[in-house]
Amino acid sequence: MWSELRGLKDEIDFGTPPRDGSPVTLDVDDVTVTVPAGSSVMLAAAKAGRAVPKLCATDMLEPFGSCRVCLVEIEGRGGFPASCTTPVVEGMKVKTQTETLKRLRKGVLELYLSDFPESEMADGWSELHETLKAEGIASHPYGNGGANHFDAPVDASNPYFLFDPAKCIVCSRCVRACGEVQGTFAITIAGRSFESKVVASQDQSFFESECVSCGACVQTCPSHALVEKSLFEGEYKHAEPAEA
Amino acid sequence: MPNPLKPERSVVTTCAYCGVGCGFKAETRGGKIVRMTPWKEGKANHGHSCIKGRFAYDYYNAPDRVRTPLIRLSINDPWKPVSWQEAFDYAASEFKRIQAKYGVKSVGAVSSSRCTNEEIFLTQKFARAVLGNNNIDNCARICHSPTQFGLTNTIGAGAASQHFDSILQADVVMVVGANPTEGHPVFGSLMKRRIRQGAKLIVIDPRKTETVESAHCKADVHLAIRPGTNVAILDSIAHVVVREKLYNEAFVHARCEVNEFENWKALVGSDKYAPEVIGPLAGVDPDDIRKAARIYAGGPNSAIYYGLGVTEHSQGSTGVMCLGNLGLSCGMLGREGVGVNPLRGQGNVQGGSCLGSWPHVFSGYRFVTDYATRSSFEAEWGVTLDAEPGLRLPNMLDAAVAGSFKGMYIMGEDPVQSDPNQHHVIAAMKNMECVVLHDLFLNETSKYAHIFFPGSSSLEKDGTFTNAERRVSRVRKVIEPLAGLQDWEITVKLMNAMGYNVTYNNPGEVLDEIARLSPNYRGISFALIDRVGSAQWPCNEDAPEGTEVLHIGKFPRANGLGAFMLTEYVPTAERANDKYPLLLTTGRILSQYNVGTQTRRTPNSMWHPEDVLEINEQDAMSRGLKSGDWVKLSSRFGQTELRAKISERVNPGVVYTTFHHAKSKANAVTSDLSDWATNCPEYKVTAVDVVRTNGPAADSVQEAEGPGIEELEPAECA
Repeated sequence: MWSELRGLKDEIDFGTPPRDGSPVTLDVDDVTVTVPAGSSVMLAAAKAGRAVPKLCATDMLEPFGSCRVCLVEIEGRGGFPASCTTPVVEGMKVKTQTETLKRLRKGVLELYLSDFPESEMADGWSELHETLKAEGIASHPYGNGGANHFDAPVDASNPYFLFDPAKCIVCSRCVRACGEVQGTFAITIAGRSFESKVVASQDQSFFESECVSCGACVQTCPSHALVEKSLFEGEYKHAEPAEA
Repeated sequence: MPNPLKPERSVVTTCAYCGVGCGFKAETRGGKIVRMTPWKEGKANHGHSCIKGRFAYDYYNAPDRVRTPLIRLSINDPWKPVSWQEAFDYAASEFKRIQAKYGVKSVGAVSSSRCTNEEIFLTQKFARAVLGNNNIDNCARICHSPTQFGLTNTIGAGAASQHFDSILQADVVMVVGANPTEGHPVFGSLMKRRIRQGAKLIVIDPRKTETVESAHCKADVHLAIRPGTNVAILDSIAHVVVREKLYNEAFVHARCEVNEFENWKALVGSDKYAPEVIGPLAGVDPDDIRKAARIYAGGPNSAIYYGLGVTEHSQGSTGVMCLGNLGLSCGMLGREGVGVNPLRGQGNVQGGSCLGSWPHVFSGYRFVTDYATRSSFEAEWGVTLDAEPGLRLPNMLDAAVAGSFKGMYIMGEDPVQSDPNQHHVIAAMKNMECVVLHDLFLNETSKYAHIFFPGSSSLEKDGTFTNAERRVSRVRKVIEPLAGLQDWEITVKLMNAMGYNVTYNNPGEVLDEIARLSPNYRGISFALIDRVGSAQWPCNEDAPEGTEVLHIGKFPRANGLGAFMLTEYVPTAERANDKYPLLLTTGRILSQYNVGTQTRRTPNSMWHPEDVLEINEQDAMSRGLKSGDWVKLSSRFGQTELRAKISERVNPGVVYTTFHHAKSKANAVTSDLSDWATNCPEYKVTAVDVVRTNGPAADSVQEAEGPGIEELEPAECA
């Protein structure tokens, strides 16, 4: 019952929360692995040393299935299920690396890049950047000419972190962290489709919202859209004493 | 936006703020701390954090940090910067001179819950082995001393019975006089997670706190009691348990002293504690008392969490015993999901409490009068120890005023600000010939000090903290101490300067000494913590990696049985009357920490720039007040001015404020009564009046003018 908390590891992200169920054995890319029932295929793959790329999944949050990067093939099933929302089943045979999957993932990631500033691709180190590197995607095939959020204003109202919508991939990890981990429910997604965006409270600035600055959203953001100001030199001066 | 710069190095350490004791990774770049991120393997926080630990760490580098030792011959002289050796030699010569002139017992020491376990232990060693007396006390005196007394007398151990994660197996959570959402935020988040999963929530608090109602978390019962009626309401809950036979007879017969149970039943079962009697007295609906009792006793797993709202009363110890009794009677002890748990305020109050910084006990609460215990310390330390208990801090101050107490080593404390009756404390300080203050910043007490040792923040030293769940975690040095020495080194060098020869290569060797001399810490070492992350005491041969849940099978009392204490309600002498018709109670807010020595040196103050007085609309209307008006808050003890805020969080007849800012002087107003058993001050109930004013004179509104002068240590420390 506590594996969700106690099974977490510092250097490994299993992608979905560890579980306490009875053992289930499956094959991932011909590696046999045993995990507790209730685990996701994504977690089993990570335990088998065959980690699946992902953006909206992280092991401190319940799976959500929105980013479509973690697709896999499962013997006997049609389509390409998301490994984060697919529970393991005894005897399941999973493929995480096929030519079709590679092509699908590349397509999905390139679509994300169509609304991501090309200038920020090279020297980044966020999970998005690391995923692009791992999948061998170095180019920005759709250019910068299409509809995008590059000019959306940065919310720097909070003294400790900022929100840059240009880098947001609307994966909802911040929304879920604020609810599931912190329990404040200060963040939501407003709008639909291309108009959908992360907003705090009633579309207020983070500082004016119900946000309690616990940092859970910043911690989980995979693209450095939400990021600590202290990591920037010059532009953001850290911890100016407000008094004294 | 450009991409952020990647940190180069990270060090796992423990947050120095509240008693949750979150694990953090301190990340550096170019030798500077650029970020604190929560450690996923931290067993107290599992990768979560709050605004204080996550972001408010830059106080360590505030411009007014003292970075060199200071001395002066008289408190009227200016400070003179000196070398460390000069400062140690001067302190040693003064202590020796004073002891030669006024006697061995004319000096003493005080430690703090801001210190590591190793520093606390060394400070009491300094008093006992070097000064040669037991004049040693610590700040748990003014916050959770009733916890120690009340729980020891009922369930046998003055510490949390559970680990934090245990709450995930609780079906009922009862929060008494605590506001975890604000005061212990990471635990508050865990609690809310459990409430969202369906556990029931009972809150006993005069104020409708954030814990009572927030998004997807609402108390099933909120007993908004009149301040000062804790014991009455808890006895009334017990009354319902007894009269409706909701107690767990099998547990009581197997695990408790049955005669005492019968006596307790007779007391709380008597008509005077009926909800119909206590309800009107405490200002709550009798049906809600019955409902709370039925929910708690119904469990099946019910867990109690409580804070200073229980302890800081004239019947603080009695209130804690009520909770112990309740847990015992309903069988809510000795397994996962239940328990009686103090939520400790400061990072190391539990360590401060269990490592012997008390005038009457060594580490592990073993009496200095006990020959066998004393002998074990004498053998380890190579000196003969005093068999007579020493002075409590208030007694040291009394003796200073009387002229028999002349010198004090104060580590990380500010008694002038934090202890009751400031005039008396100042008179005591002025009467001493050598006050050695060891701290990060000059503070109120430094005005009366002769020697100042510039200490190291928790980012600049090694050691361990013990959190509110008895968990011992590593504090690891991230950057070099700004003043050159870690706190433990300072104390050791002072001991050496006094002629006591001892060397430690690192604080791990101090922890080894603690382990040799303290049964609960026997198995704890840096090596163990490095291997398993952290360990809850007792940690010994039977529990080599620590103990998560206490009281399984038996209680740590001589006969192994739980004891019921008689908890007659005795109203506090502090009462509302025509002149002071309202009751003031105090608490904390999320963004600030105690009196703000740390957080007010960070942008956290943007959220809470000043303390305000929360007042109900009815009381505000009758005084012609609106939100934002300046008011004078006066009591029998003093007065202060602050802004009013009309709030539905407080009932008519009750006002509330926080105590984070020096200028609001909340504790100038609070009562000087204290707990009958432990002298813990009654900060939580003061009869007051509130009248509208034009606001304080402009020059007195300024805060913290001049580095550190108004920077105060906590008035309520846990």
